[in-house]
Amino acid sequence: MQATRARSIVIWTAVALIGAVAWGVVALVRGEQISAAWLIFAALASYAIAYRFYARFITRTVLGIDDKRATPAERLDNGVDFQPTDRRVLFGHHFAAIAGAGPLVGPVLAAQMGYLPGTIWIIVGVVFAGAVQDMVILFFSMRRDGKSLGQMARDEIGPVGGVAALVAVFAIMIILLAVLALVVVNALADSPWGTFSLAMTIPIAFLMGFYLRVLRPGRVLETTAIGVTLLLLAIVAGGFVQDSSLADAFTLSPEAIAFCLIGYGFIASVLPVWMLLAPRDYLSTFMKVGVIGLLAIGIVVTLPVMQNEAVTKFASNGAGPVFAGALFPFVFITIACGALSGFHSLIASGTTPKMIEKESQIRFIGYGAMLTESFVAVMAIIAASIIDPGLYYAMNAPAALVGDTVQSASQAVNQLGFQVSPGELSAAAAAVNEQTLVARTGGAPTLAIGMSNIFSGATGEGLKAFWYHFAIMFEALFILTTVDAGTRVGRFMLQDTLGNVIKPFGRVSWKPGVWITSAIVVGAWGWFLYAGVTNPLGGINQLFPLFGIANQLLAAVALTVGTTLLIKAGKLKWAWVTGIPLAWDAAVTLTASYQKVFSDNPKLGFFAQRDKFKAALDQGDVVAPAKSVGDMHSIVTNSTVDGVLAAFFAILIVVVIADAARVWVKAIRAREPLPTTETPPVESQLVAPSGLFPTAEERALLAGAGAGANGGRFARTDERQTQRSGRP
Amino acid sequence: MTVREALSGVRWYLREVSGETAYERYVEHLRREHPDEPVMSRRDFERWRQDDRDANPRARCC
Repeated sequence: MQATRARSIVIWTAVALIGAVAWGVVALVRGEQISAAWLIFAALASYAIAYRFYARFITRTVLGIDDKRATPAERLDNGVDFQPTDRRVLFGHHFAAIAGAGPLVGPVLAAQMGYLPGTIWIIVGVVFAGAVQDMVILFFSMRRDGKSLGQMARDEIGPVGGVAALVAVFAIMIILLAVLALVVVNALADSPWGTFSLAMTIPIAFLMGFYLRVLRPGRVLETTAIGVTLLLLAIVAGGFVQDSSLADAFTLSPEAIAFCLIGYGFIASVLPVWMLLAPRDYLSTFMKVGVIGLLAIGIVVTLPVMQNEAVTKFASNGAGPVFAGALFPFVFITIACGALSGFHSLIASGTTPKMIEKESQIRFIGYGAMLTESFVAVMAIIAASIIDPGLYYAMNAPAALVGDTVQSASQAVNQLGFQVSPGELSAAAAAVNEQTLVARTGGAPTLAIGMSNIFSGATGEGLKAFWYHFAIMFEALFILTTVDAGTRVGRFMLQDTLGNVIKPFGRVSWKPGVWITSAIVVGAWGWFLYAGVTNPLGGINQLFPLFGIANQLLAAVALTVGTTLLIKAGKLKWAWVTGIPLAWDAAVTLTASYQKVFSDNPKLGFFAQRDKFKAALDQGDVVAPAKSVGDMHSIVTNSTVDGVLAAFFAILIVVVIADAARVWVKAIRAREPLPTTETPPVESQLVAPSGLFPTAEERALLAGAGAGANGGRFARTDERQTQRSGRP
Repeated sequence: MTVREALSGVRWYLREVSGETAYERYVEHLRREHPDEPVMSRRDFERWRQDDRDANPRARCC
């Protein structure tokens, strides 16, 4: 016992030292380029310490997990949606559900402030806010038989809070889908290679769906293997299409791609799940995990050097071309997924709490999966920071600023204070077989350039174009999956709400209801998508802050629910665990909304922007970047809608927190904890380790129960032990 | 750990995480908890499981 304790102290001291040195290098070295390895070390050491100490403190002391208590999976086991699932398998499911394009896109955009602010927020944010939110919501939902966030908000805060939460979820879904679809549009516009490869995923998915439904029901692995093979062939074939007579057919304008996506979104969401969504989901999950793994290996093997500055001048002057506004609050809005993402609370109060085997596993699954997502975000900021800053700004500044030729882009970048020659811009595009890289905003093309640099560093320059399109394809693939799944979730909420007024809408299988509600949801995000694509000011520049604000609004709802539940349970002294992240999140979101609504700088404030263009329009003038009166009108409309939304989100946050504060005061005044809404405890019959590897005590306990090293079930009536599915 | 053990571990993980073992778990659950109830065939079970996702959509995050 003494020896293990001493060993543990030595190991954790070493981890802390490595972390401290790495942070020192990342934060203090100026004037010379550092290796990306330092960011990796700083991140991993911080995660290890946070997981070992802070997450354990939260589970044991703050939440009071109890492994003698049966989880909903054990009590309500129905062999389908409620069932005890091996922690490592559930970690895989949970991670696949929370991680998507978000942690890859946000950090790329935030790199305009330099790599340091983004990296600090990703790591500190996940440790104290993001992972805490995910784990706490998972815990509270698990104690309530897997109740959703919306239900918990209604039950714990009240009807006002509940409605606000529902509206927030719906709003974020619409903005999220529009922004993600916009990322795809910008990645595929005028790129026959990318467009062809992505278009091929539709027949591939149909084929897989048919195979899985009719020929070999349930054989997911062989179906996925076939799908992945075809997918890689489609990427290779894209290179040939690019150089063939078919190229013109797949060279689409941004508007055309936007309409294709809108049409796809509608059709995909009304088709049965087995045809398109289910097979796509297998493909994109496989690609997602595979590519993230490859990226980690690539960075560790090639150890690239950071080209970006640690902190750029845009952090303080707020005049960055990628998105407007200063470091505070806009870095914390732009990087949501990877640091703190409200959307995760929907997953943590969805399927995961119904499948968790032991209460203590929330640390591995809730906190651990979010740390992993944060690591993905760190890799994304590395990928965006190892490319030449001049190229970065030429790609990420809106066309309004950089124009559409390499000459105009080179000039504009020089004016920003960075260097890139027209020749270098043409060469960079030619290296990945693209017509141009100028104003390819949205993050995906930049990430793809970074990834192709990393991968081709390991595999040779000849494969650069393949790796670029591989990266584009993988992002576009899972964005389309999210678009399909998200449209369905939005539709389901709408059906549910309309069902209260017009009965047939409540029946999810009523076809006219399905079509009407799908059309409404697709129409809503489609409007924002089209407005973003045609916005002369740049869609990403305008919409991404709204997406960030919406996501952080949902995080505010989740953290408010968490804080309320802690206070109601008589744990006021621990309420800071969710209270401090909530205060920070509210400060960030409200400041950002305030600036977006009230700033008199037309680049930053939506209404100032509206006034500027409206005034010019009244004079009959056309102001750049608008090229026509039509452009002027669309800027005025977009700015008005965006401004109203920003104000609306801010009001929602204030309403939720104010309504919850009423409950807090009541709970604090009460002499005893308020009546609990938890399901009453039932004694657990299951044994299983809590972390990735069983500890020595857990091994002894498992052996005592006669179960395998990874868990099993105590006998109920006789001596016989049953163990499930032969876990290794 | 031998190579063979490692490979069988990977196979086990992929089968579990992809849902390929869902049917086995369903059959086992039914035998254990409701031995009298009829067991769906694999084809029927997989159909039912896929169609259930139509009625209960799951969000994917960003």
